[in-house]
Amino acid sequence: MGKSIVITSGKGGVGKTTSSANIGTALALMGKRVCLVDLDIGLRNLDVVLGLDNRIIYDIVDVVAGRAKLAQALVKDKRFDDLLYLLPAAQNTDKTALNEDEARAIIDELKPDFDYVLIDCPAGIEQGFMNAIAGADTAIIVTTPEISAVRDADRVVGLLEKNPLQEESHIVINRIRPHMMDEGDVMDIDEITHHLGVPLLGIVVDDDEVIATSNHGEPVVLKTDNPAGRGYRDIARRLEGETVPLMNIQTAKPSFWSKVASWFKRG
Amino acid sequence: MQAVVLRGNQDGYQLAIDQSADFEAVKTGLRELLDNLSADAEATVKISFDVLTGDRLLSADQNRQLEAIVSEYAGFSIHKITANVMTIEEAFYLKEQDNVHLLTQTIRNGQRVEMKGDVLFLGTINEGGNLTTSGNLYLLGDVMGVVHAGAPSFEDKLIIGDLHQAQQVRIGEQINIIEADQLAADHKTVAYVNDLHTVTYGHLHELKEINPKLYHQIGG
Repeated sequence: MGKSIVITSGKGGVGKTTSSANIGTALALMGKRVCLVDLDIGLRNLDVVLGLDNRIIYDIVDVVAGRAKLAQALVKDKRFDDLLYLLPAAQNTDKTALNEDEARAIIDELKPDFDYVLIDCPAGIEQGFMNAIAGADTAIIVTTPEISAVRDADRVVGLLEKNPLQEESHIVINRIRPHMMDEGDVMDIDEITHHLGVPLLGIVVDDDEVIATSNHGEPVVLKTDNPAGRGYRDIARRLEGETVPLMNIQTAKPSFWSKVASWFKRG
Repeated sequence: MQAVVLRGNQDGYQLAIDQSADFEAVKTGLRELLDNLSADAEATVKISFDVLTGDRLLSADQNRQLEAIVSEYAGFSIHKITANVMTIEEAFYLKEQDNVHLLTQTIRNGQRVEMKGDVLFLGTINEGGNLTTSGNLYLLGDVMGVVHAGAPSFEDKLIIGDLHQAQQVRIGEQINIIEADQLAADHKTVAYVNDLHTVTYGHLHELKEINPKLYHQIGG
């Protein structure tokens, strides 16, 4: 029996979909059978980030409405032999096309066949959020080092405390810019973790290649030397129970002589 | 004039119903006629009538009443009931099936446009957009979404246009996922379903071999 994990945040644009795609891909790279479920009905993106958008024939609403069987709607990622699947969201309807019981039934049907069922939650805390947490065993709350994102994450933690899941939630701090954290312009990792009072699952640095790779439909974890990709791989290893030390994100302090050299640099 | 008149020609026997006659008069007229006929006709020959209602559409209930009357006579039956006219609804349906519809809008992500009959499409279909019709699709605009001809299950339909950027090409029940570099950027691409029931691509100059029926329909 697999574990179902909802990836949520409250706030939009913090990287829920990117994190879902990358954590799912990282787990598949470790040989786990993973099903990614896109519950952002009406504004689906997970298929695009994974480069599977042209392969969608049926979606989750077709399954609920009985127009297709669950197995017909699953889109297989050919890059991972039989390990990574996507259940796409519908695009021509909205969040109310699904209710909690229907969402839970689908997740429960997927769990026996996969090691992990990752649920990509829509932004907001309305029906879409309720559907996403309905079938989840645990949650990963994605936030960024911005006050607004942390505020919304705090709200989500509160909602999850009211409707407790089977296992304790974790946070992932995404889009970290190391130099800003060094200079104290944004909350640092310990501050955020302490403020939210939820254990930290991992950190991911902000990197141009995250956007570049997702535009090409291939998650950044596939790049072995990318720091953001490493962040996601570490998260996957921790989910599997490994003890992985937190990545060092301190920027190298410029030495005295490099500072002197920079005075003479043009532009 | 009598409400029901018996006529015979090379197509067989017809019962012509006066379109201005009251329906009750039609029923009694029909009974009288059949009474007379059954007295004359030889019992061994069964006669099947075409009922012509002229410029009047009978309701389904009225049709049943006429059929019930005829079925009382062992030697007679009704082959079919036809009128010279049709409902506006039926006329629109026929018109829709025959026309080539002109469509110029942009079909965006998540939008689905459903048409009947052949469609000449001059707009743009963005990624995630879907254009579906029961007939053929002639595409002059940019197609980056899903196009579906012959919905739901007519595999003799065609899609003509530049399909190299499309996500999926669907004809009838067949679906083809377009891979990068699968098709050339060519406005004269013809997508069709072959004898093996898979979506195949040809060129406009092969169209006569691909689908001779289309030429027949145009009259070329």
